[in-house]
Amino acid sequence: MGYYEVEFEPVGRRGKCRDDESVLDCAHRLGVGIVSLCGGRGKFHCCKIQIIKGSVSKPTKSEIEFFSSEELKDGYRLACQTYLKSNCKIKVPLESLTTPQRLQLEGLEIGVKLNPPVKSCDVKLSPPSMVDLRGDDERIMDDLNHQFNLSCRKFDIDVLKNMSSLLRSSRWEARVFVRDNEVVSISSKHSSGLGLAVDLGTTKIAGYLLDLDSGKTLSSSGVMNPQISYGEDIVSRITYAMESPAKKKKLQEVVVNTLNSLTADLCRRANVEKERIVEAVIVGNTVMHHLLLDLPVDQLAVSPFVPAVQNSLDVKSRDIGLNIAPGAYIHLLPNIAGFVGADHVAMLLATERIWKDDDLVIALDIGTNTEVSLIDNGDITSVSCASGPAFEGAHIKDGMRATNGAIERLQLIGDEVKYQTIGKVPPVGLCGSGILDAIAQLYLAGVISRDGKMNDHPRIRFHNNQKEFVLVDEKENGSPAITITQKDVREIQLAKGAIRSGIDVLLQERGHFEQEIKKVIIAGAFGSYINVASAVSIGMLPPLPLNRFQQVGNAAGIGAKLALLSIEERFKAEAIAHRASYIELAASPDFEKIFLRATYLG
Amino acid sequence: MNNEILEGLRKAIKEYDNEKAENLAKRAVEEKLDPLRVLDAMTVAIREVGDAFGRGDLWLPDLVGAADAMQAAMPIIEEEIKRTGAKRESLGTVVAGTVFGDIHSIGKTMVCTLLTAEGFKVHDLGVNIKAEEFLQAIRNYNADILAMSALMTMTAPEQKKVIEQLKKEGLRDKIKIMVGGGAITEEFAKEIGADGYDPTAPGAVKLARKLIGR
Repeated sequence: MGYYEVEFEPVGRRGKCRDDESVLDCAHRLGVGIVSLCGGRGKFHCCKIQIIKGSVSKPTKSEIEFFSSEELKDGYRLACQTYLKSNCKIKVPLESLTTPQRLQLEGLEIGVKLNPPVKSCDVKLSPPSMVDLRGDDERIMDDLNHQFNLSCRKFDIDVLKNMSSLLRSSRWEARVFVRDNEVVSISSKHSSGLGLAVDLGTTKIAGYLLDLDSGKTLSSSGVMNPQISYGEDIVSRITYAMESPAKKKKLQEVVVNTLNSLTADLCRRANVEKERIVEAVIVGNTVMHHLLLDLPVDQLAVSPFVPAVQNSLDVKSRDIGLNIAPGAYIHLLPNIAGFVGADHVAMLLATERIWKDDDLVIALDIGTNTEVSLIDNGDITSVSCASGPAFEGAHIKDGMRATNGAIERLQLIGDEVKYQTIGKVPPVGLCGSGILDAIAQLYLAGVISRDGKMNDHPRIRFHNNQKEFVLVDEKENGSPAITITQKDVREIQLAKGAIRSGIDVLLQERGHFEQEIKKVIIAGAFGSYINVASAVSIGMLPPLPLNRFQQVGNAAGIGAKLALLSIEERFKAEAIAHRASYIELAASPDFEKIFLRATYLG
Repeated sequence: MNNEILEGLRKAIKEYDNEKAENLAKRAVEEKLDPLRVLDAMTVAIREVGDAFGRGDLWLPDLVGAADAMQAAMPIIEEEIKRTGAKRESLGTVVAGTVFGDIHSIGKTMVCTLLTAEGFKVHDLGVNIKAEEFLQAIRNYNADILAMSALMTMTAPEQKKVIEQLKKEGLRDKIKIMVGGGAITEEFAKEIGADGYDPTAPGAVKLARKLIGR
């Protein structure tokens, strides 16, 4: 075994790379965020790098197929397939970097009647004396139970460790934080208790710091989920976790570390100490939920894909190493099924006031897996659609994630293409909303037929043996052309067909027609950026008047906030999960027919 | 007259008109057409559809529809082949199915239809097939090729299980294994010890021929 020196550009990170570790593994070890959709199996061709200097292993078959001979000559490789043979300098193209990304933080803010699970009680105790020899705990308990009419019986062990000295130095006055019948924190200051709400997404993590007395959000922040380094999608991560208990533990460790730095950042912004956080609510999909708690995930990966834990949970923050008040609890909302998790419950909770008065509502969160719920007269039926990563830019020739240089809006006027990029910089590729616009515009202009076939057009050309529509010419920006290929259209047909068939199967299952749908709630980052008209044009969403659609942003984060501020909201979340039933899409008798029909445009 | 029937049958398959395909197959039998010639005509039609799909000119439902139309006519012709005792040379016997835990069938059915059209004897076991069911079928039919599909990454490892079971029972070297489905890659296929992989249905047919050297 040998070591070589490696330098990653443009991030400027240097380090040693073993000759038996792939460039991808080395990059992740050194903290260079290279996208890895498939967990290092060379499947999605997303970890593209360029060897600037030095020699490396020979290209594998999949690299030879994926890259043109020019690209190979220019040193383009896949990081997961490449091993060093000498000291190297490696360039990581913008589209292969996991950061920076635009994060979606703002959601639909709605008021809630405050009733947090943790109550703050100010106690003023008489000091012990020769005639009052009660222990410190008993002294507090008596006061709490008499003055606040509580039936407090328990103290968190970490509270007890500091309580005695705190009481004596604060002249027997303190603020005590009580949750159910347990003292979870104590403070000498009369400052309010804080709460932490987290939407733990597969790709992104959004955190919010709230004042439990006022219900106000003090600060919010977003970071990338560090588990991305171990596989971009949930399946790759389960696969990684299943390799060994140590690896599963590692996934928990990295995400908790990130949650801790996120918390520190939130506290710094709000100028408060993290020990003041006396309660946290974390929502995520079932896999994120299980990995956070280091619960078994094996059963999530085999049919019939059941969660280890479906009900809501309260765990001590120190049990997973989250640095807030040591006695504080983390509340986890219930999961609906293996593929429909607590984040979906949180989304339904947050949007409850939108759907509760209408008898037929579709609520969906579009991602690699798209969760769709049909709310019909109080019953909730959910499905999960394998929409794939096409809308995140994967599998699309010039697709990329929503970073600088991505075309996010596009219009075809006559033969001219007008577009807008993120960061207002020259275009590098297309992100999900741009791809969606492009397909819709080409379809509406008749360049693509209903069955997805590309017709003739001045901008259509033959390239690498297939038809493609040139959106941005080679000349225009001095770099390769940006095109939509026939294969791209097919990928989008499959992705949008998966989503639409989810909606159609739900309607059929419940005996409804799409025109009866009163509202369509679109949650999540991608769903908030898309042009709904484009989604309707290509038939990804049903043909309803546009005013029936509502894009609500990160509703899962809002749901987490609500559950933080009110016990009633937690009960509501339980009720929602209880009322929800999950159906397996592919098991639906007409699924195949419905899916094939849904792959047509329009 | 005869050519008219064959031409009509070709057209029925390409326009996926099940009823017409079935009727024309019946007429072909009535008019005592050579069932092997009829089968050839259908094979050519489905192959043309498969090729157009491969080029991106036709879309998935076209292929599924054409396959359906062919399936509508097939039993009638097969019955006639059996009755007349005509011998159709088979390229080999294939056992196919979607692995346990996975109930997606579109891709698998596509491959089966095209393999049949090519001249293979195909036993499509269906979806959600356990390792032991694959093994059972391989023994029963004395298969030359095992074709497994998995759409979900979650179920892809099941293919490995089947291969390991084959090894354990000493059957691995007696059969060629091809794998496919949305969750499968070339690397994965290699890793689990399959003999071949192709991302498309028309490609799978070429692969099958290559594997058995025909």
